[in-house]
Amino acid sequence: MSASTLSHPASAPGGSSSLKLLLPLLRLLRGLAILVAVFALWEALVVVFAIRPYYLPRPSVIFAALWQTPAPYVQGFLRTLTETLIGFASGAAFGIGIGLVFFRLRALRELVFPLFIVSQTIPVIAFGALVVLWFGNTLFAKAAIAFYLTFFPVTVNTLLGLESVDPRQEALLRSFGASPRQLMMRLQFPTALPQIFVALRLASSLALVGAIVGEWFGDTVGLGVLLLQGMYTENVVSIWATLLVSAFLGTTFYAVVAGAERLFVFWGAEQ
Amino acid sequence: MTDRVDVTRDRKTSSGATRRKVLAGLAAGLALLGSASLPAAAADLTKATLRLKWLPQTQFAGFYVAVAKGYYKDEGIDLTINPGGPNLLAENLVATGADTFGLSGGLDSVFAARDKNLPIVCIGVAHQLTPFVFVARADGPVKTIQDFKGKTVTTWFTGANHVLNAILTKNGIDPALVTIQPQQVSVTPFVDGQVDVITATRYNEFYTIKTRMGEEKLRTFVAEDSGITFPRDTLIVSETTAKEKPDLVKGFLRASIKGWKDAFADPKGAVDTVMALAPTLDRAHQEFQLAEAKKLMVAGKVPEKGLFNIDMDAVKITQDLFVNAKVISKPVDLAATFNSSFLDAIPLADRKP
Amino acid sequence: MSGSAPDTVIAAPRANSRTLQRGVLGIVLFILAWEGIARGFHLPAYTLPAVSDILASIWTKRQILLTAAGFTITEAVVGYVIGALIGVALAVVITLVPMTRAVLLPAATAINSVPVVAYSPLILLWFGIGMPSKFVMVALAVSFTVFLSTLAGFDRVDRRSVDLLRSFGAGRLAILWRLRLPTALPLMAAGLRVSTVRSIIVAIVTEMLGAYGGLGWVIYQAVLQIDFVQVWGAIFVASAASLAFFGLIGFAERRIIFWK
Repeated sequence: MSASTLSHPASAPGGSSSLKLLLPLLRLLRGLAILVAVFALWEALVVVFAIRPYYLPRPSVIFAALWQTPAPYVQGFLRTLTETLIGFASGAAFGIGIGLVFFRLRALRELVFPLFIVSQTIPVIAFGALVVLWFGNTLFAKAAIAFYLTFFPVTVNTLLGLESVDPRQEALLRSFGASPRQLMMRLQFPTALPQIFVALRLASSLALVGAIVGEWFGDTVGLGVLLLQGMYTENVVSIWATLLVSAFLGTTFYAVVAGAERLFVFWGAEQ
Repeated sequence: MTDRVDVTRDRKTSSGATRRKVLAGLAAGLALLGSASLPAAAADLTKATLRLKWLPQTQFAGFYVAVAKGYYKDEGIDLTINPGGPNLLAENLVATGADTFGLSGGLDSVFAARDKNLPIVCIGVAHQLTPFVFVARADGPVKTIQDFKGKTVTTWFTGANHVLNAILTKNGIDPALVTIQPQQVSVTPFVDGQVDVITATRYNEFYTIKTRMGEEKLRTFVAEDSGITFPRDTLIVSETTAKEKPDLVKGFLRASIKGWKDAFADPKGAVDTVMALAPTLDRAHQEFQLAEAKKLMVAGKVPEKGLFNIDMDAVKITQDLFVNAKVISKPVDLAATFNSSFLDAIPLADRKP
Repeated sequence: MSGSAPDTVIAAPRANSRTLQRGVLGIVLFILAWEGIARGFHLPAYTLPAVSDILASIWTKRQILLTAAGFTITEAVVGYVIGALIGVALAVVITLVPMTRAVLLPAATAINSVPVVAYSPLILLWFGIGMPSKFVMVALAVSFTVFLSTLAGFDRVDRRSVDLLRSFGAGRLAILWRLRLPTALPLMAAGLRVSTVRSIIVAIVTEMLGAYGGLGWVIYQAVLQIDFVQVWGAIFVASAASLAFFGLIGFAERRIIFWK
């Protein structure tokens, strides 16, 4: 009985709320178990094959480094997180907004869209000096780069989603006298939502890339700074420690976006 | 000028004196800050930034010490130190006014900037000697420069390659006979023996190689032995700053020199200051780096002429190197590019290490 | 889209030529504004060089730039193909063997959550500064995007259609081939299209950190020699290469999806 409830949580009656709470916890535990297993295997491989630490340090050494000087990693985590969030939020809002505008105003879309595409072909890292010149040495400069990397996929998928609406459904709603606003809220946007969320998940990773690369333009705090510092002092342990912190940040952020997707797309499908 | 230095002991008097001095030179700049609601102390200070060539490390210890000990504040400067990064060039940021001061790449980048008409002026040189060496294995086939022939040498294609070419030419070797490759971030290819000769800064890569292989296993080749020199880590300002805010520039140099002298006198404290900003750095490496930076900064004519001395003989050697290598299209206007007047305004006794 | 297919096919050529005209107009207007600002305000090259100067510099340095572009494009295309294959293969594996999802999806997410550029020191250490390190970097960047969009496409199918096919005795492979793949194609194509541009950028960024040649290498050299016109020149070439790649995949996408 309990096994079948576990495999079909959706069919569980409202009474088993404790099980609903337990399920994510079990998932988390399983994830942690896998993680521990991976680290144990890694540790064993390095020891057994006597891999030199310059190629691959032991995870225990990496965790020891994190434990001994946690301050820069914690500060870096918080700083990079802030930049990522600002860039992601503004990029997602702009991307969806501009997607809606392009959907409505075809002429504008045709005029500007090619420029958008061109803008995405430019490696920002080549213009470090310009970024500093335009945005200064502020947190905003990093968020701007995160924004720059984020908005485009969101725009593309918003448009794609809006255009995938079945014209017959649209005609049906129109025949019932739906206003363009109602059409958008009831049909077009909900239909586009799954597509938009695919882009948002991608964008969550891109925003982090933007924040980290942004920190390469002369900053003192942040995961990007630690990576750069580690790369050029050949501090492989510090590189790995920063990689793990970035992975933690990225995975958590991604999971939050994916969680929001399950919440909203489920609701969208019900409409 | 001289009696000013004496008053700096007392913060209050000094800031008052500075205020008058700075006000005279910077009336316009301060007018912008002159909001009545600001506390008096904040209004006294002129905001300025220093762009470094790289991230915080003891190569720049003196500047961080000077900030920590309030030496710039004593000069009426509220200094922010901005680290560098890959693809950031201090010359560019100083020329555009994004940063006030720059500790830039070296004579190479100063020449390149002037060659491209960037309005920057060099006001001091930190490292008096070529800060990098060419390293081979002591037990390997490369015993002399002549042995570079037919071997694989990696170097940075950002100036060091021209030094290498010049050394080879001076020793009668056609650089075409040497396999010269771009050097990667890591020294591992050299440690693993895939590369015969590697370029190493005395304060960074050399330390890494030394700790991984042992110093006795290494043989070094120094540019100065071939009569070539390549001073690096140059202090720069824009032409506008040099012309309009000479007191700011002098104050900056005075405070920086004090910071560096403190760093030399108390290396442990200086390493603490830097490590507080970048705790993931390796302490032993940073101590070594500061010691090496000191050697480079007090070399040459510095004992007689003081820290940050611009040695025009060395400048000319480097310029010839670049003109011959066609890195710059023509000799630059040396008088306009190098300006020692700000250093000379500080008493020599204060500048001597 | 499928409902109005006949209309779209008929309307397509006309809409295309108008789209093209407007697109070209937009770009021309942008370039004119750029040229006007750079010339009108006498901006120095280190702030913003005029487009005409950049184009002239590209022409004089065409030999260097062409060689470099050849380098970068090779790296990007090889890495792209490897990455796309890995991405699709992973999505197929997860769909055919659902129990792998619990392991593969979080693992791929974790690997991807670290910015690709952060791997560059390790990749350069492991694979050297020649082309292989760029292949790996590009493949890393591309595979996740393709994987995610393909998987989203596979998952998008109607449950009832799957049940229906299953009731006719269709296996997982048949369902994948007959039902999931056609449904996934538009999303897959979108992922493949977005990845083209990323592949060139990642190749360039990695070249900047260490390489024997390529556009990133040219940019790095030019920045240090304060030759900003050349930086922009290399960027223009990179941009053109990305657009050509993007256009090529877009063209292939239209062909394949229409054929379906």
